[in-house]
Amino acid sequence: MKNASYKLSIVSFLAFIILFFMSDTINAQTNTSQELVYISVEIKGLACPFCAFGMEKELKTISGVDSVHIELKKGLAFITTQIKQQPTREGLEKIIIDAGFTPGKIEYSDIPFLNKE
Amino acid sequence: MNKWILNCLFLLSMTILFAQGPPITTESPYMLGLEGSGARTFGKYISKEDVVIYIQPIAIPYNISAKFQVGGIFPFKFITPEDSKTTGGFGDITLFAKYQLYKKDEIAKTFRILGFAKQTFPTGKTSATPAIGSGLYQTYIGLIIGKISTKIGVYGDFGYTITNKNASDNFTYNFSVGIPLVEPVYHKKQLNTFLEFNGNYVFDSEIHTLFISPGLQFIPARRILFETSFQIPILQQKITSNKTKFMVLLGTRFLIS
Repeated sequence: MKNASYKLSIVSFLAFIILFFMSDTINAQTNTSQELVYISVEIKGLACPFCAFGMEKELKTISGVDSVHIELKKGLAFITTQIKQQPTREGLEKIIIDAGFTPGKIEYSDIPFLNKE
Repeated sequence: MNKWILNCLFLLSMTILFAQGPPITTESPYMLGLEGSGARTFGKYISKEDVVIYIQPIAIPYNISAKFQVGGIFPFKFITPEDSKTTGGFGDITLFAKYQLYKKDEIAKTFRILGFAKQTFPTGKTSATPAIGSGLYQTYIGLIIGKISTKIGVYGDFGYTITNKNASDNFTYNFSVGIPLVEPVYHKKQLNTFLEFNGNYVFDSEIHTLFISPGLQFIPARRILFETSFQIPILQQKITSNKTKFMVLLGTRFLIS
């Protein structure tokens, strides 16, 4: 009986430790996601995959940019960036114009756009 | 031959599905991606009745701004006349400038017009037999027009070449239709096909040549593409000897930066 209760307390303790670290991981993920901002940028004139590389390269030069994903058919670029280094609308428009394209609607979100879809 | 052309056009119209890369033997109105900060080289094999010519140019463009591009074309040329030795060397250098005159961008499509100027210098040897260079200064002024969407790319360029000495001026025109053979998803591998027409009219001699050029382009990665084109003459007006039998182009474009 004593043994069983001893084992139970060990299992409980281990479960507590695991849950404690898991909750910490969850918190850490939440914090990380709170530090990121997701930007959807409409880019007009981006008509071939071959041309998208130049645009992607320019968007990746923005400081704090974590990732760039281009949806060619929709003419959209999805940017993930650090909230502290969030690029301005004007800054993004200038990058697009300098790359030879025409900027359209720019949206900021705290939820990934790809998840919204 | 006309029936063959019609068949090609029919096949093209049936397979127009997706977008494409830059045309092979026609100028592109895009000054971006590999077109903007990359280099292009190809080997061109020209089979004529009495001679075989091999040209290997290297073209390097540089974007001064999104609207303005300059560059140079540096060719190596090898000529092998029938029953004679090959003569080879550095050909005539060409410097060029492109300026965007008009642009209308929409979602996944664009229409652009560029002004295009080229200056060729007689840097190729003319003392050799046969001559590697033309021995002429040639100034080209023209336009590049292109309408590109995610379904099809239609390109055209035309221009007037002024030559010095007693050589005749000429008019050059190129037309291209490009379609992808696989769905254009960035950044997956791409395979594109082109049907192009390349024409030239020499004013004094009234020589008029027109080639039909089906081509294929493979883009395996972001920074490089490979392309090939087979050019067949469909018109060689007022040419009595040494007619062109065919031309084959095999080339690559790659990003420097």
